[in-house]
Amino acid sequence: MRIHDQQLRADRMVFYEKDVDRLNGELDAFLELSKARCALLIDRDGHQVTRRGEAVGTSADSISALIAGSFAATKEMARLLGEAEFTVMFHQGKRDSIQLQLVGERTLLAVLFDERTNLGLVRFYATEACQRLSDVFDSMSQEDRTAGLSSQFSADATAALDQLF
Amino acid sequence: MVQINFAQKQINAKIVYYGPGMSGKTTNLEVVHQRAPSNNRGELTSISTDGDRTLFFDYMPLDLGTIAGMKTCFQMYTVPGQVYYNSTRKLVLQGVDGVIFVADSSAKSMEQNLESLRNLEENLNEYGKSLATLPHVIQYNKRDLPDALPVQELEAQLNLNGAQTFEACAATGEGVFPTLKGLAAAVLKNIQNECGGGTGRTAFHSVAARPGVTSSGPQPRPASMPPAPQRAPQTASTRPQPTGAQASSSAPSGAPLKQTGFQPRTAALAAEPSSAPASAPAGQLMQNAAAAAPQPKPAQRPRPAAARPQAAPAPAPAKPAKAAKAPAPAAQPKRRAAAQPSSAAAPKLNTSGPSTAKTAAFVIVAAVIGAVVAKFALDFI
Repeated sequence: MRIHDQQLRADRMVFYEKDVDRLNGELDAFLELSKARCALLIDRDGHQVTRRGEAVGTSADSISALIAGSFAATKEMARLLGEAEFTVMFHQGKRDSIQLQLVGERTLLAVLFDERTNLGLVRFYATEACQRLSDVFDSMSQEDRTAGLSSQFSADATAALDQLF
Repeated sequence: MVQINFAQKQINAKIVYYGPGMSGKTTNLEVVHQRAPSNNRGELTSISTDGDRTLFFDYMPLDLGTIAGMKTCFQMYTVPGQVYYNSTRKLVLQGVDGVIFVADSSAKSMEQNLESLRNLEENLNEYGKSLATLPHVIQYNKRDLPDALPVQELEAQLNLNGAQTFEACAATGEGVFPTLKGLAAAVLKNIQNECGGGTGRTAFHSVAARPGVTSSGPQPRPASMPPAPQRAPQTASTRPQPTGAQASSSAPSGAPLKQTGFQPRTAALAAEPSSAPASAPAGQLMQNAAAAAPQPKPAQRPRPAAARPQAAPAPAPAKPAKAAKAPAPAAQPKRRAAAQPSSAAAPKLNTSGPSTAKTAAFVIVAAVIGAVVAKFALDFI
């Protein structure tokens, strides 16, 4: 388990277009069934992987970071209580609510929904969708693919930094 | 850890300002937020106490622009500096790609600096990382204080890994951008080294060889790194000062992506002779049901992926095996019916044939036995 975790930490999250297409397909199907407003897929470091459905506020990046932080804090609480982790979180609002669920070991599914649906329906289909998304991540991790950053990346990076700062 | 998203042509890296309490971490981030071009910076989010102490973290995305065709973004965090908040501080370090250690230059803060540096190393070790290998720079902040220690003394005590160092006075903005630029160069160089093209390494295996805590060794300083410019960010201060928080446009994740023609479920569907054609990805959630029960699938399968139906007076979409059996009158019960796992409904369909045969056989046997008993009874009478 520990070695597995270490491996996961060391691995980069690399998403190709076909990966995101597959993830988007699963999220679209989930939104269709659950009638939720929006589904965000976020890695545990707070980076947004993809988003489907309606736009969420002004900054999906900030929401992603806060969700990841919130989940990390919950995990720490679970550890202190002797649980491995809490895999599902739910925040209820007057109009909108958010359901958060762990997908595999590295990503989070955040579902924003309103009165058009209900928690039970969202939770049921989210559980099913998480399994499917987890399968996608598993298949991604087994694929043998080359990471293709341009060899010009470093030179371009220096130029971009000089321009920005 | 760095996230590379080729679909959105985006690279995300996580930068953390670390240091003792009140050393100026949040001030650094505020200066970056104030002076960065408005189209490059995101919204500054702060989870802090009433007393202006960071409770969990401050966060701001910074768009560095397009580098080699990839939109490169830094997700910038600060941590709470107080010893009391170590658990939350550790959480923020998860997946960090670069650290700016903000040290307080005053003599009386040296002990807190050292304690924070030790704490940083311990927390990094928890994630299998180390200052010896992680890109990081040190900022000697509050250089304007009268009791500020000489840089040589700070170097001797704090910079044990030979990191690039910067003098700063974050309250005036001096040295903030050079520090960030120094770290950004180191992080981007690190990304290039680990994920550079043409290496033939695989995406998920390339960085598996990344040295952990045990395989330490001083990190080679990037040759392309700028030579620690010790200047005030005049260029930044001459830029137009944006007003108000304005969110940077995040990746257009909602925008349609190019189709690659990859249909992950098509093969599985083709293997099922009785399943409906997978016309849209929206039908993919039905796969569990199809796998669990290779019975004819319901007609509701093709759902329009584009148009989501509005509020739901309509009957719940899927799982008609159960809903058709006992159509519920109201919308809510229908949802419940739909919420039943299709795999639970499927076995009923599977076992209905054999159980009918068993019942018929049982009736016949019972009738024969009854006839025999009746015959004996009549004979007896």
